[in-house]
Amino acid sequence: MSETADDKAERKERERETDPPALPCADESSNKVAPVTADASPKKPDASPKKADVPPKKDETPDLATRAKQWLCANPDPFIGGGIAAGYVAWLLATARGLGFSRDEGFYFTAAYEYKRWFAMLLDAPARAIERGAIDPIWSNNHEHPSLMKSLFAISHSLFHEKWKIFQDDSTAFRFPGMLMMGLALWVTYMFAARAYSRRAGVVAAIALGLMPNVFYHAHLACFDVPIMAMWTTCIYVYWRSEQEGGLSWALAAGLAYGLTLETKHNAWILPAVFLPHALIVHGRSILRHAARSSRVPVPTSLIAMTVIGPAVFVLLWPWLWNDTLPRIQEYVNFHVHHDYYNIEFLGRTYFGPPSPRSYMPVMIAATVPTITLVLFLIGAFDRARVLLARFSLWISGEWGKRLPWPKQAPERDRAQTDLLVFLSIAAALGPFLLPRTPIFGGTKHWLTAYPFLAMLAGRGYDLVWTRLETMLAARTALDGTRRLVAQTIVVAACFGGAFAVTVHSHPFGLSAYVPFAGGTAGGADLGLNRQFWGFTTESLNPWLTQNAKPGETLYFMDTAWPSWSRLIDEKRIPPTLRGVSSPADAELSIVHHEQHMNEVDYNIWTEYRSSTPAYVLTHDGVPIITVYRRAHGRR
Amino acid sequence: VKKDVLALALCAVPLIGIVELALHVKQTTSDQVPDADWLAARDAVKAEVKPEDLVVFAPFWVDPVGRRWFGDELAGLDREARPDESRFPRAFEVSIRGEHRAELEGWKRVSSRTVGKVTIGVYENPAPVKLQTDLMDLVGPDRMTVSQVSGPKETPCPWQHGVGQPGGLGVPQGAALPGDRFVCSGGGYVGLAVLHALDHHPHRCLFASPQGVGSLRIRFSNVTFGGSLHGHSGVQWVTERVPSAERIQLAFSAFDRPIGQNVHKIGVGWTGFEFPTPELAGKKGDLVAEVANGAAPRAYCFEADTRNVGP
Repeated sequence: MSETADDKAERKERERETDPPALPCADESSNKVAPVTADASPKKPDASPKKADVPPKKDETPDLATRAKQWLCANPDPFIGGGIAAGYVAWLLATARGLGFSRDEGFYFTAAYEYKRWFAMLLDAPARAIERGAIDPIWSNNHEHPSLMKSLFAISHSLFHEKWKIFQDDSTAFRFPGMLMMGLALWVTYMFAARAYSRRAGVVAAIALGLMPNVFYHAHLACFDVPIMAMWTTCIYVYWRSEQEGGLSWALAAGLAYGLTLETKHNAWILPAVFLPHALIVHGRSILRHAARSSRVPVPTSLIAMTVIGPAVFVLLWPWLWNDTLPRIQEYVNFHVHHDYYNIEFLGRTYFGPPSPRSYMPVMIAATVPTITLVLFLIGAFDRARVLLARFSLWISGEWGKRLPWPKQAPERDRAQTDLLVFLSIAAALGPFLLPRTPIFGGTKHWLTAYPFLAMLAGRGYDLVWTRLETMLAARTALDGTRRLVAQTIVVAACFGGAFAVTVHSHPFGLSAYVPFAGGTAGGADLGLNRQFWGFTTESLNPWLTQNAKPGETLYFMDTAWPSWSRLIDEKRIPPTLRGVSSPADAELSIVHHEQHMNEVDYNIWTEYRSSTPAYVLTHDGVPIITVYRRAHGRR
Repeated sequence: VKKDVLALALCAVPLIGIVELALHVKQTTSDQVPDADWLAARDAVKAEVKPEDLVVFAPFWVDPVGRRWFGDELAGLDREARPDESRFPRAFEVSIRGEHRAELEGWKRVSSRTVGKVTIGVYENPAPVKLQTDLMDLVGPDRMTVSQVSGPKETPCPWQHGVGQPGGLGVPQGAALPGDRFVCSGGGYVGLAVLHALDHHPHRCLFASPQGVGSLRIRFSNVTFGGSLHGHSGVQWVTERVPSAERIQLAFSAFDRPIGQNVHKIGVGWTGFEFPTPELAGKKGDLVAEVANGAAPRAYCFEADTRNVGP
């Protein structure tokens, strides 16, 4: 859509409204950076120096270091976000060795090994690599999911494990791109909230997102759930920037981002439910005006780019689609539209098919997202919903030509309708889980895409809390910069100390962790909530197996997939002298990963071993995670 | 005033984070039950429990921990995979977190004490019974025969000692095939195993599912009869969780006279039946159970005992 003079003016205004302030590091003599003191009112034009406010002095040509410093002072947000992201990725790397492999990771390891062969072929003999005979045998592997993340797993393994030997474990190299995606999610969440609300909201949003036990668990994995959370958020952020900035480059970036999101996981199919209503509301009037004038319907450039570039990127990056493209896309879509329902326990009942309980998603969010985050989210959401309603009320007043009694004061303008976009992003991510036919077997992981936006509103909620606290403190004591910084740090620590402790403590049993207000891990068990899935906890038996398993003994590893088991053995995460077997009938040691529907495995082992007495029970906060049985001598 | 309250409420929000931290610390430290408490509880129960008493752990999710510390002697298959609680005159409930087992509702608590963080409650059965013969104790070639009946033809199913098939890596696994079982031609079998019932609880019972047309005839010898024949039936949970019109029939007879017939509807779960047998009380003889399938072979399982009401 071409940009008119009116549009340009509006864009400039939006830009002025939403640019976060530069860091006030004008006091270069002391070389200190003043604390962040963003106001509670989002997007309020402020007096802080802007990019344009800190030009070099006219008669001096600053050297590169000075210019870099000036640029950094004027654009600190990418670095603040980057610092948070880097710290978090380092935390993930430091804790990765303690977390075993889930079933799906095992399958993606296998796929990544296969894809790696193809990339090697592509470098050696490109012409041969793009022949169907080379593509299909390799890329048919795990073709129910797109290739982007598995390709990155493969490339990471080649570079960071094989070539540069940065990671000793193959698995850490495979997992690294997923961890980086978590870093991206934090970075974008920070950037988005900092631009939309305040820098402080950005920091708190990133903290809130990182301190969710379920997110921390999934962020370790060579899987797609955290990557799609990152790409979903990135795509929406880029679209939002394209709405703010206008111009072709942001629109093209939106197209590329949507293509990469499509190529990450099928959640991307839902994104039009965010963009279309948003674009319609933001541009509706303009569209109608243009349509009336020229009999054509102008569409925002970003949407055109997403429609054109998105699918192209999707197909280009997935070699499996290079042959029989349409039937294979159909096959891919059918797989997910008609996906199997797996067993999952909720409130003491195992669900295995439709109708899924509507309360599942809200209850699981309440039980797994730290309560402080949810409270801050509710405060922030209430605030932004109030503003959104006030705008709507004004719009109604304008359309009807009759002033409504509320609001008395007009809310701040936001032509990009950021609040609407944030609410739509949450609604589109969570909405499907209110439908009875949506499978719920993935626990919380299938709606992680909502969490960055939930965290953003929590950041906004924190802004409001801090502003009140600051007013209260200022009435009692003089708040200089240092005191304000100390006070802010204490308040953030008070808010998120519990979330931090829960997240740290949850590892490596992230899926068993429930928030303290739900009773913690034992409370989750009392409520009959899912304790784990896909057999990743086997590695946590290592200390017991090391002490108690005899060399050469056989172990039935139950819900752990063969490739995951092999990786555990290869990386000596469990005693490599153990031999894995696929039935308790062949095993001296048998394990059960505790889920309600796995009770059958437990009872079958009782029948086979003629005993119900475990040799060992692995627990987390007293709650059984895995039970180990040992066959009594001669009982066969 | 409204604004002040709102401001105060917002200022109090960080307290939620502090409470969250305090709760977490409590839940992960002082709320934990140390191994020593479990061992002390085991010793306390062991000193008092009689062979006919029940031992249960509350809540149900802590059962694996309880079994680990209490062992087969106190928490073996007879107690863990019981058909119900009615046969036990007394129950020891070993409980944490103030939990109580629903199965003991209506039982009279006669004592309660704490051992560290574990509570041991002793309960008395309000309607005790005296077991005469538990048919599950008779499973084996000595006091039991099995045959496949098709019209007038009756084919014996010999007892075999073999390798069990307790499932593989896929879930749901299906019921375990016990190593020791009566094997019938065509794939049918009769054997003792632990059923994962619709309620997700374990029940030790006799799997008996005829293959194709016909029925399975199971003869228990030298049974002491009481005032009633009491039992349960169920089907493997994955079949049971999709209710259908399908029926499985179990008919009992003794001394060439019918005692009663139980019809199991797919979907009802592990359910009990009881047939009065006052005319047989005190007698000894063979008890015959005949199982006839509905539409298709199912992992059907039953258990039964003869009993007298009263201690």
